Amino acid sequence: MNPTLPPPPPPEAPPVKNLEFKAGLLLMLMAVLLVGSAAYILFARGVLEPTQRLVLISDDSEGVVVGMDMTFAGFAIGRVARIELGDDGNARILIDVPRKDAKWLRTSSIFTMERGLVGGTRIRAYSGVLEDPALPDGAERTVLRGDTAAEIPKLAASMRDVLDNLAALTASDGAVAGTLGGVKVATERLQGPHGGLGVLMGNDEDAKKLVATIDRTNALLLRADSLARRLDSLAANADRQVFGQGGAPGEAGLVGDARATVQQLNGLLAETRTSLKKVDAVLVEVQGIAGNTREATSDLGYLRGEVEASLRKVDTMINDINRKWPFSKDTEIKLP
Amino acid sequence: MNPVNAAHDTLGRWGRSLRASWNAWWHTLFVGAQILVLALSPASYRAPTHRQAVLGSLYRATAPLLPWFLVLSALVSLVLIRIVVATAYSYGLSQYALEVLVRTLVLELIPLYVAMFVAVRYAMPGAQEVRKQLALQQREGSLPERQSLLANQLLPRALGSMFSVLLLAGLSSVVALVLTYLTVYGFSPWGLPGYTRAVGGVFSPAVTLIFGLKTVFFSLAVAVVPLAGAAQADRDGRYSRRSDMSEFARLFSVVLLIEVVSLVGNYY
Repeated sequence: MNPTLPPPPPPEAPPVKNLEFKAGLLLMLMAVLLVGSAAYILFARGVLEPTQRLVLISDDSEGVVVGMDMTFAGFAIGRVARIELGDDGNARILIDVPRKDAKWLRTSSIFTMERGLVGGTRIRAYSGVLEDPALPDGAERTVLRGDTAAEIPKLAASMRDVLDNLAALTASDGAVAGTLGGVKVATERLQGPHGGLGVLMGNDEDAKKLVATIDRTNALLLRADSLARRLDSLAANADRQVFGQGGAPGEAGLVGDARATVQQLNGLLAETRTSLKKVDAVLVEVQGIAGNTREATSDLGYLRGEVEASLRKVDTMINDINRKWPFSKDTEIKLP
Repeated sequence: MNPVNAAHDTLGRWGRSLRASWNAWWHTLFVGAQILVLALSPASYRAPTHRQAVLGSLYRATAPLLPWFLVLSALVSLVLIRIVVATAYSYGLSQYALEVLVRTLVLELIPLYVAMFVAVRYAMPGAQEVRKQLALQQREGSLPERQSLLANQLLPRALGSMFSVLLLAGLSSVVALVLTYLTVYGFSPWGLPGYTRAVGGVFSPAVTLIFGLKTVFFSLAVAVVPLAGAAQADRDGRYSRRSDMSEFARLFSVVLLIEVVSLVGNYY
C-alpha cells in the first residue's frame, strides 16, 4: 500500500534470535503439511491411478452414495463415481475400478446390492470363474438387489399365516385335538378283546371275519400240503417214465429209447454217406459217357455232310443221265 | 414514574444497545476487510521492518504454543479415539469407527478447539496489549493514524493468529490420524491401504472444500474479532479496558456460526 509508512513501534517482547530462519522453518512446515495432505487425499481417493468404468443398472439406487466402495471378497476394488437416472427409468450406478483390481471382474461376474438392518448399502462383486474373459471397460451389468428391511414385512406376513395355521391346528376343535381323540379311541381298542385287529378293522364283526378267514386259510394250507405231496409222487412217476429212474432194470425209459434211436440214425447216415459216394463215382462215369457221345455226335454231323454231298452227286448224275437218256420225254406241258 | 417516560427510556436503551452492537459488528467486518486487503497486498511486506514484524508475529503466535498444544491435542484425541473405538467394537460396528473418528475428530472437533486455544492463548491477550498501548498513546496524545495502526499493529498479529490456527489444525489433524491408525491397527503396516481408503472415502471434494474453508474462516475470525474489538474506541472515544468474557463471547458466537454453516454444508 503505502511504502512510506512509519516504522512500527519497537515490540515489547524480547527480540528472537534467528527469527527469519525460525519463521521460515514454520512456513516451510506449513507448506509441506499442505502439499502432503493434498497428495495423501488425492492418493487415498484414487485420483492418481488409472481406472476403468463399470455401469451397474438397478431399479432402485436408494442407499447408494457417491464415494462408497464396491467389494470383492471383502476387499474394496471400486468406488461409486456417479449415480444417474437412465432414460428407461432405471438407476445407473457408475463405478470406477482401478486397472490393477479390474482382473477380479470377469464377464461372468455377478454384482449384488445389499442393504442390511444396520449400516449402509453394500455393493459386492462375485466372480465364480476367474478363467473367463476380463470385463471390458464401460461394461453394463444389472445388479441383483437384496433388501433385508424390505424382506421384513413379507417375513412378518408369512409368519402371521404360519401362526394362524398353527392356532387353527391346535384349537380345541382343531385337527390336532381330533387326532389326539382318535389316538385315544385307538388305544382303548388296543386294550380291548380284539387288540390291534379291532383297531385295524374298525369293528368287532370284521375282526371276527378276519379270524374266520385265517382259520379257513389254515385248512386251505393243509389241503395244499396234501396236494403238494401228490404232486411229488406224480413227479416221481414222470421221472421213472421219462428218465427211467427208480424203474426195473430192463426199463430204459423214454430218454434211453431216444438215445438208441439216435445211435441207429447215426449208423444209417453213415451208410447213406457211402452210398452217395458211390453215386458220385457213377456220375463221373456218366460224364465220360456223355463226353464220348458228344464226340460221336460231331462225327455223325461230318458223316451226314459227306452222305449229303454223295447224294447230291448222285442226283446230278441221274439228271445228267436223264438229259442224255434218248428216251427223254418232253416235259413241256401244252395248254389248250 | 411516568409509564410513558419509562417505556421511552427502555426503548431508548434498547435502541442504543442495538446501535452499539451494530456498530461493533460493522467495525469488526470493516477491520477484517482492511486487514485482508493489507494481507493480500505485497506492499505490506516490502519494508524490512514490516516483514520482520510479520515474521516475529508468526513465530510468537506459533512456536510457544506448538509443543504443549500437540501434547494436549494428542491426549484429547487418544481419549476420544479410545471411547469411539471401544463403543464401536462393543456394538459390533467397528467398520464404522474409522469414519466416525475422522469425521468427528479431524473434520469437526480439531479446528474448533484449535481456534479456541489460539484465541485464548495468543489472539485475545494480544488484543488486550494493543488496547492497552492505544490507551497509553491516547493519554500521551500520540494516537497513531488508522492505517499506521492497521499496518504496524493489527496486520502482523492477525497474520500470526491465522498462521497459528492453520498450522496447529494441520499438525493436530495429522497427529489424530496417526493415533487413530495406531489405536485401531497397532504398529502393523498392513492396515494402511484399508485405512487410506477409509480416509479417502470421508474426504470427498465437497467435504474437503468445506473443511478447508471452515478452517480458514476460523483462523480469520480468531485473527480479526479480538483485534477489531481492541481497536474500537468506546462511545466516549476512549480505549478503556473491556471485559475478556464479552470479547470471548463475541468470538465464540462467530466461530459457532461458521461451524453451524459448515455442518449445514456437510450434512444437508
